[in-house]
Amino acid sequence: MKHARILLSFGAVLAFASTSLLAADAGNAANGKEKAATCFACHGTDGNAVDPQYPRLAGQYQLYLSHVLHEYKSGQRNNPIMKGMVSTLSDQDIADVSAYFAGLPTKLDTLKGHLQGDN
Amino acid sequence: MTRLQLLGLAVATTLFAATSAHAEGDKAAGRKLVYTCAGCHGVPGYTNAYPQYPVPKIAGQNEQYIVNALHGYKSGDRVHPTMDAQAESLSDTDIQNIAAYLSSLASK
Repeated sequence: MKHARILLSFGAVLAFASTSLLAADAGNAANGKEKAATCFACHGTDGNAVDPQYPRLAGQYQLYLSHVLHEYKSGQRNNPIMKGMVSTLSDQDIADVSAYFAGLPTKLDTLKGHLQGDN
Repeated sequence: MTRLQLLGLAVATTLFAATSAHAEGDKAAGRKLVYTCAGCHGVPGYTNAYPQYPVPKIAGQNEQYIVNALHGYKSGDRVHPTMDAQAESLSDTDIQNIAAYLSSLASK
């Protein structure tokens, strides 16, 4: 019985933790559009950077974008320009901006159907 | 024009031609090389483990960005265990070719 109770409370904690993670991931695209204004200069207003040194963001996976922004913020991924850009973004800002770019019409795709032997 | 000037011009022209040929990647060669990439980048929604996040879509990505990313992995500036190992095996020409092919896949 005691074990069961411990197990239950452990489960509850886990459930709570994953909910808050999901909540942070959700992101509000409309708010993201406002916060993304500084991104447009390099990444394009439509999220398709014209200068080929900058990546296209439109339609990229939302969780990939937010992961990368967190990496720039922590310094795990080292890029002076992006580090400056993300330094003012909160976790919620990152979720919102990522949601905005992920939802734009995309030119990106996975490699499925693009290999030698595929049509 | 003196003979020396002519020679200089010829050398310059050859060098220029060689440089631009190098800068332009071979898409057909790139298409063969990306076969390995598809194990992760060819599966829609495929997830990286530890930490968990989706493996990015790379078909249609911008050319110079891909070149920089692969050189970054190769030199160790950018760190990801799998990608570091993959990029290690690629020559500069391979990287040009991969970037040329992937960027050509951008949907209109």
